[in-house]
Amino acid sequence: MSAREPTRDELLAMAYIDGELTAEGCAEFEQRLGASPELRREVSALRELELLACAAAPKEPMDHEWDALARDPVQRGALGLGWTLLVAAFVGLSAFGLWQVFRSDAPLALKLLFSALLLGGALLFGATLRARLRTLPLDPYRKVKR
Amino acid sequence: MILCTTDDVPGRTVTETIGLVRGSSVRSAHLGRDVMAKLKNLVGGEVTEYTKLLAESREQALDRMVEEARARGADAIVGLRFMSSDIGDDAAEMLAYGTAVRLG
Repeated sequence: MSAREPTRDELLAMAYIDGELTAEGCAEFEQRLGASPELRREVSALRELELLACAAAPKEPMDHEWDALARDPVQRGALGLGWTLLVAAFVGLSAFGLWQVFRSDAPLALKLLFSALLLGGALLFGATLRARLRTLPLDPYRKVKR
Repeated sequence: MILCTTDDVPGRTVTETIGLVRGSSVRSAHLGRDVMAKLKNLVGGEVTEYTKLLAESREQALDRMVEEARARGADAIVGLRFMSSDIGDDAAEMLAYGTAVRLG
């Protein structure tokens, strides 16, 4: 546990989350928020903490079973192996399918169109994933359970 | 900010009605969660992946509604309601709405 005093920015961020800033203070803080990634992360972390505090509830009997299952080596092994096999099969089949298309006697235009389809899909997926990973640390709702 | 599902705040007097405030959120689960949820559909029981998805949407919609009320100078939101609908196959939309008021 840290015993240090909160910084001025941390205090401002807490006041911002709690709606305690004046209209001018709020506008000024939001202007700084737009320019500072550290401040955005701070506000997001505080929002997350507030959400967790609001959602604090006694554990239900089933939660203990879920926790126990998450630690169970058989369950973990089955899930890990299952996902690995699934991903490996998907990648392998995709690569095999691509190889078969290029080896076939299909017209070159068809091969190029097929490649464009795959490349386009991969680029779109990559861009979407990048956007998600970039915004993930600023998403305070990701730890809400129920 | 006081949030009430009733039309007034017990023990307080509504001095001014500001108007409708609302917040909505559409969220989806990632592919991994969706696959596990589909598998749970086969065996039954609570689909915790979707419980979580709906809770995330609910909290975000609620926060957006409160932000709007706060920006308009409200002290409370009365007549709070939630509404949900399906936007996509695996996306959950939650809409929170109510009437923003000032209290005496």
